[in-house]
Amino acid sequence: MHNVAIKSKEVTLLEVLDRVLNKGVVVSGDIVISVADVDLIYLGLKVLLSSVETMEQLRGSPFVGPMQEAT
Amino acid sequence: MTINSLVETDFPEEFIEEMGKTDDALPKKIDANPENVEKGLAKLVLTLIELIRKLLEKQAMRRVETGSLSEEEIERVGETLLKLENKMKELKQIFGLKDEELNLNLGPLGDLM
Amino acid sequence: MTLYTYGIIDSSDQIKESIYGPEGSGVYNIPYCDIGVVVAELNEPVQNVSKSSVLAHEEVIERLMEHFTILPVKFHTVFDGRNSILSMMQSYYKHFKDNLNRLRDKVEFGIKVIWPADKIKKSIRNSRKKGEHEMPIPDGSLNKNFVRKKLEKYKINEEFEQKAYKFINVMDIFFSKFAAEKVLKKLKTENLLLDAAYLIDKDRQADFKKAFEHIKNAHTGFKFLFSGPWPPYNFVICRRKVSYLKIPNKKICLIK
Repeated sequence: MHNVAIKSKEVTLLEVLDRVLNKGVVVSGDIVISVADVDLIYLGLKVLLSSVETMEQLRGSPFVGPMQEAT
Repeated sequence: MTINSLVETDFPEEFIEEMGKTDDALPKKIDANPENVEKGLAKLVLTLIELIRKLLEKQAMRRVETGSLSEEEIERVGETLLKLENKMKELKQIFGLKDEELNLNLGPLGDLM
Repeated sequence: MTLYTYGIIDSSDQIKESIYGPEGSGVYNIPYCDIGVVVAELNEPVQNVSKSSVLAHEEVIERLMEHFTILPVKFHTVFDGRNSILSMMQSYYKHFKDNLNRLRDKVEFGIKVIWPADKIKKSIRNSRKKGEHEMPIPDGSLNKNFVRKKLEKYKINEEFEQKAYKFINVMDIFFSKFAAEKVLKKLKTENLLLDAAYLIDKDRQADFKKAFEHIKNAHTGFKFLFSGPWPPYNFVICRRKVSYLKIPNKKICLIK
C-alpha cells in the first residue's frame, strides 16, 4: 500500500501544478519585473490556437475582433 | 498540509499516465541551447502541420462518406492523402519524433484529432 | 523590496492569520478601495520553480480561501514595489471586482474520468464487422485501398466519439444540477473521457459530492478522480486587452 501512497502524492502534485502553473490571472505590464516569462509565450500560443472555440462559447457567435494578447 | 486531502482517486497511476500524455507539444521553454533548438522548433512546426493534415484527412473522409465523389476523385484523394502521410512519416523520422510527441492539447478542440 | 503576489481578495482588511511567504516573511494584504492584493516581500526577485515552492504557494492560497474570495494570479507574479501594485490595481479594479462578485462563496471542483477506450473500440469494430454489407469503394488500386482503410477508421472514430459524448452528457447533466459554471474538456486523450471543472456554491458542496458518488457507482469499469475544493482557477475571466507602443527610450502602455 506504500506505493499507492506515493502515487497519490504524485497525482495530487500534478493536479496542483496544472492549476498553479497554467491558470491564474495575468497582470502583466511594463511595471512587472518578473513573471514566469516563458509561460506567457506559451500562453500566447495557446490563446491563439484555442481562442476561436472559447470565444464562440463566450459570445455565442462567430468570433470577430482582435484577440487578447499577453505581453 | 491541507493539500494532501485535495485529490481523491482509487487509480492514481492511471491518471498520472493520462495526464502525462496531454503534455503539450508546445515547448514550455524555448531552449536556446543550439543542439536542442532545432528539435524544439521541429516539434512545434510538425505538430502544427500534423494538425492540419489530420483535419484534411477527416474532411476528406466526410466527403467520401457522403458518396458524392466519383471513382476518379476518390483515387486522387487517396493518392494525395497517402503522399501526405508518407511525407509526415519521413519528416518524423528525420527529426526523431514520435507520434505521441506531436500531440497538441487544444482542450475542447482536442476532439478534432 | 519586491513583492511576490498570490492573488486578489475581496477585502481591504489585514490578514489576521500568520501565513509565511517564500522567504519566510509574513503574507499581508495591500488594500485598494474595497479589495486588496495579497503579497509577501522578497529580497531575491527570482525564486526557483520547484515542487515545494509550487506546493507552498498553493498552501497559502488555500488558507486565504478559508476567509476570502480570492482570484489567484499567475504563478510567480512579482512586482517591483507598492506603487506598481497600486498602479496595476487602478487599471484592473473593475475587472477584479466583477470577477470577485461572480465568484463569491463559490469553489471549484475537478472531475476526471478514464473510460475503457480499447474495449469500446473493439466492440465497435466487432459490431461493424457483423453489419458489413456496404462496400462503397471498389477494391483495386493502392490509393483506393488507402481511402477504404481510412474511411473505416474514420467511421469507427466517429462512433467512438458519439459514444463518448453520450456518456459525458449523462454525467454532466447530473453534475450541472449543482454547478454555477463549468469547463469541460472532452476526450483529451482516447482514455481520458472527461476533464472537468465545476464551480459550486460553498453550501452545495455536499450535494455535489453525493452526485459524484452516484455517477461513480453507476459506471463500474470507469475510473474516477475527484479534486477540490480549489480556488476558482478555471473560472476567472481574463478579457483584458493590453497593447504596447514602443517609442525609442520610452514604453507607453495602452490599456483598453
